[in-house]
Amino acid sequence: MIADMPNPSPPDEQSPLADRQRLESLQRITDAALASLSVEQLLRELLLRISDILETDTAAILLLDESGRLLHARAAKGIEEEVEQGVKIPVGRGFAGRIAAERRPLIVEDVDHADILNPILREKGIRSLLGVPLIVEQRVLGVLHVGSLVPRIFTGEEAALLQLAGDRAAMAIEHATLYEQRRLAEALQRRLLPTELSFSGRLQLASRYLPASHESLGGDWYDAFALGSGQIAVAIGDVVGHGIPAAAVMAQLRTALRAYAVEGHPPGEVLELVNRLMTGIGPRAMTTLVYALIDCERATVELVVAGHPPPLLIPPAGEPSFLAAVGGIPLGVSELARYEPQTFAFEPGATLLLYTDGLVETRTEPIDAGLDRLRSLAVGNGSVEALCAKVVERLVPNERHDDVALLAARIEPVPERLSGRWPAERSVLAGVRQLLRRWLETRGASTDEIYDIVVACQEACANAVEHAYRPGLHSFELDAAYDGGRVRVTIRDHGSWRAPRGTHRGRGVMMMRGLMDSVDIEHGDEGTTVVLERTLGEQAA
Amino acid sequence: MSLLARVTEDQRDDISIAAIEGEIDTSNVREIGERLRGLLTNHSTALVVDLTDTTYIDSAGINLLFELAGELTDRQQGLRLVVPASTPTLRMLTIAGLVGAIPTHETRAAALVQAS
Repeated sequence: MIADMPNPSPPDEQSPLADRQRLESLQRITDAALASLSVEQLLRELLLRISDILETDTAAILLLDESGRLLHARAAKGIEEEVEQGVKIPVGRGFAGRIAAERRPLIVEDVDHADILNPILREKGIRSLLGVPLIVEQRVLGVLHVGSLVPRIFTGEEAALLQLAGDRAAMAIEHATLYEQRRLAEALQRRLLPTELSFSGRLQLASRYLPASHESLGGDWYDAFALGSGQIAVAIGDVVGHGIPAAAVMAQLRTALRAYAVEGHPPGEVLELVNRLMTGIGPRAMTTLVYALIDCERATVELVVAGHPPPLLIPPAGEPSFLAAVGGIPLGVSELARYEPQTFAFEPGATLLLYTDGLVETRTEPIDAGLDRLRSLAVGNGSVEALCAKVVERLVPNERHDDVALLAARIEPVPERLSGRWPAERSVLAGVRQLLRRWLETRGASTDEIYDIVVACQEACANAVEHAYRPGLHSFELDAAYDGGRVRVTIRDHGSWRAPRGTHRGRGVMMMRGLMDSVDIEHGDEGTTVVLERTLGEQAA
Repeated sequence: MSLLARVTEDQRDDISIAAIEGEIDTSNVREIGERLRGLLTNHSTALVVDLTDTTYIDSAGINLLFELAGELTDRQQGLRLVVPASTPTLRMLTIAGLVGAIPTHETRAAALVQAS
């Protein structure tokens, strides 16, 4: 039979000496040494100590899963099979299920005549059981139970003692679980944020991510990646929710966004596809997002907004303004949501600032006040790094209730002299072409001259990429100067020259000679230097 | 397919047609080559490569065209190019000595007439 314990009273002053010793030993359940353990280690250690104090043969802890409907065996002593076999008990059924549902201790004097769901308890020869709920702040976390292989009548005092132990254990479990969740979510989030924000083109990027102070982690994220077209995609978003579930949604969202963008879908379509994924097969979670496609060559930014605060555009001189893009609803709400991209001018030297609501929203004032503060602060033309540092220092409190993420992007103004260093990889060549075209444009080169010079430079760069290297990571440098109507481009690499091979291999050099006034190629121990010259306004020699 | 270029396919009787829109460089030339070669069947008599909307081509792309021409000749098929007059593309092909080596036409229609 099962004896309910309607109102267990804690052991009082009159308890036998043995009980008082047991009570003192309760301290051991949550001493400092446990604080550093992982959840699994903590559960095992708690069971050892509890079964030691109550002198029982078995002990087990089952914790509620996220649905709140199933208890999972998470740690066991004497009945290790429970954990190994992944025993799950529905709340409300069987011994542990009843304890969780009724939120009170339960004693089973004779297992043979009781409603026991888990066959392992009988198979192991357990005769009597005592279990208590694990409760923190009115929330049931799980069930702790102990068992005896010989018939034993657990007393009310023992039940009260186990409940005390359970209360302390519950606190420790809650603590360790939160800590572990936070650590995991943080690690996950760190891995999901791009570590490298430098691109071969002219886009300067800087970012900050500051997690909330105390509460478990939110789902803020940002991303930046180059599309094969030479455009740079940047995105910032906020997944509603916290901790690992939010981080997991973020991971899927980030992957989906990248995949659709790289496939070549236009921005509005990218968001609609991601939205369809999230409302259909994917994680059903609400997310706000800004997706921006930056075109350095055309000096434009194409924006799509899904329920997110507006990006701020800071001109090199003058007043910043929020880009009033027509926003769609957040992602993950309706399969029918539509997203209209809008293109804005994004002049070189201007800065686009994307951020999450944690930057502008506080609990005590409307969002407009935060937006105004941001707009009046984000002036001037310091570096994008300096801008991020200033915004964080002035607008983000040390004690914050929400995550804050921000991402600043600026198209570099075309310099007098073009100079840069790139990894010796084929994929960077399109970006180098763009850069050169724009630079030549500002030098007044005609369309044909631009085409010729760009091809000649690309032949030299392609030589650096394809011919000049042993396998491994290398780079090449390009330096373009303009003086007295003459363009002079120097391409330098540091590899060892391999003579062109195969039928077609000499064609690159031939093209260079056909397109430029002079071509000078020097092979040295230090690498190869190609100097190309052409006077603008004349036919190529 | 790389975002730098897009290949659109067409078929007129036994003539395969491929239009390359965008930029051809060393980063995507292999991919484009595979697409073009994939268009040919044993029944193909010719391949017409339309470079009207090709906005960038350097020696990587030009080498591919030379290679293709060689392969097609071996199989007794023909390669024909469509390149409008006074375009940078035509200038590049001329500098590389490709014009004259491979039949080049100003329009697709002209190329098809000559190919059939």
